[in-house]
Amino acid sequence: MKLRSFKHLLAGGLKNIWANKLMSIASVGILVACMSIIGLAIILEENVNKTLGEIEQQNVIMVYFNDLNSVLYGGADSSVTGSIISSTNDDSSAAVSTTGDKSSSTSSTENAVDASEISQDKYMIHNEQEALDLCEKIRSVPNVASVDFVSSEEGLEKIKQGMLSKQSEYFSFLDGDNPLSSGAKVTMNDLSLFQETLTNIQSIEGVDTIQSQGDVAAKITSIKKGVSIAAYWIIGILLIISLVIVSNTIRVTMYNRKLEISIMKAVGATDWYIRIPFLIEGVTLGLFSALFTTGLLYFIYKAVIGTMKSALSISQVIPYSNFVGLLLGIFAGIGVISGFLSSVVIIGKYLKREGSEFRAI
Amino acid sequence: MIQQQAAVLHETPLIEFKGVSKTYSSGTHALDDINIKINKGEFVFVVGSSGAGKSTFMKLIMREEKPSTGDIFVNGYHLPTMSRKQVPMLRRTMGIVFQDFRLIPTLNVFENVAFAMHVVGASSRDIRKRVSNALNLVGLGQKARSMPAQLSGGEQQRVGLARALVNKPRLIIADEPTGNVDPNMSYEIVELLTEINRRGTTVLMVTHEHQLVRDFAKRVIMIENGKIIADNSDGGLL
Repeated sequence: MKLRSFKHLLAGGLKNIWANKLMSIASVGILVACMSIIGLAIILEENVNKTLGEIEQQNVIMVYFNDLNSVLYGGADSSVTGSIISSTNDDSSAAVSTTGDKSSSTSSTENAVDASEISQDKYMIHNEQEALDLCEKIRSVPNVASVDFVSSEEGLEKIKQGMLSKQSEYFSFLDGDNPLSSGAKVTMNDLSLFQETLTNIQSIEGVDTIQSQGDVAAKITSIKKGVSIAAYWIIGILLIISLVIVSNTIRVTMYNRKLEISIMKAVGATDWYIRIPFLIEGVTLGLFSALFTTGLLYFIYKAVIGTMKSALSISQVIPYSNFVGLLLGIFAGIGVISGFLSSVVIIGKYLKREGSEFRAI
Repeated sequence: MIQQQAAVLHETPLIEFKGVSKTYSSGTHALDDINIKINKGEFVFVVGSSGAGKSTFMKLIMREEKPSTGDIFVNGYHLPTMSRKQVPMLRRTMGIVFQDFRLIPTLNVFENVAFAMHVVGASSRDIRKRVSNALNLVGLGQKARSMPAQLSGGEQQRVGLARALVNKPRLIIADEPTGNVDPNMSYEIVELLTEINRRGTTVLMVTHEHQLVRDFAKRVIMIENGKIIADNSDGGLL
């Protein structure tokens, strides 16, 4: 096609928008509405995921190491039967793994004697260096975000910090004979892999027990999944609606211009020559709607997020500037693809109809 | 010299039907075993009653329809086997005049004629020159800026004729061009077509006006019940 023909068709397509201004305004209006909902769904999904991601990072699991204290005070099977502190979801977590069986911690001398009799069939942590090495092993487990070593002394200190001063003084006798085992505070990147990660950590030699709140992780994961699925459905349905809207605009324009099309065909216009003005019209309407919606969403976002921040106590939201490129790309894609498909499919269908092309009116 | 030119013009068939039949998917037999030749430079009236098969005959020439059987050659194209992509090229070799004028109401006279040239990608300079010539030929040079609604039926049809002519086609197909104009204007339109034919363009005109056919004494093809029942070179059969 010659350049001058293209210029003529470009002008024709833009003129069509003006000639069918009511239809064009209606189409842009509905497209903007659809794109706004799509955009909001994307923005909200991103924000919810970010907030849940932050919660994920706070969901700390405590991994207790199989050290001498764990063996001495952790019961016959070396497992922890009780905890003084629930340490999940709390930065004040401490490596506290003691037995609930009071008799087992009555005398350190007795325990020391017992220690010599401990069977060595299970890997044991003997010193801080080995504990730190174990932390490194945990860090290498997929999906582990962070590992913070907590020595038994730190654990005891944290417990005492949580007590009244007199209680704390009472437990000062433990300073010389700390029954707590060492461990690590571990966070994960993706809570949907919670159980799998837990199993991987548990399988490392030297890990005694793990204290976690798996139900919270499961809830967070299911909320994230739910939000994503809802967003995808909204986006999918509205994409189809957008396509139908642009198609209808093109269809109406086409019927308005049947006379022109019949003349074009009579004087030897190719199918593409006939299609191009419709394509330009569809794509222009789509792109205009995309630009308008991207601007409009800035204000909607401010208002919606402002309300959500106060209602849901969300501390931080993703700035709108982070979305501009993505939204503009998606909206422009919707506009261009729907404009292109509509003009190619609908006009193509019409043009292929034989037998009445010159008697179209 | 003129005689030699006339001989050349009449040598090669511009339109040729060989055993052409057309049956629509509805089962209607529109044309049955049509064999006909129309040479370059001829002026042919196509007559017949409603439903006789005239429209199908014209549709086949314009490649709006494909024949069910038989061969059709128009301006060197074999119509039954030509691809969809070639159809616009075939149509650029012909100018079509409609009964209802088919002028775009939002464009003025000049733009309506220029419309046909834009489609073939003509330059602005060519468009200005040839549109003016075509409008002068049909006697509407002074009305180039008028809108179609400001013109009489006859004038509108002359604009349609100018549009059909502006790309210099070898063949003019006029589908009842006088059907929507008053009788006096009908003669003017046919006189214009005669003048165009005199300049070398083949003209094929469908009409119901027998008096017009008799007065202009050209070749007449009469179609009835899907068959050519008469083909007379001087209009005498009417």
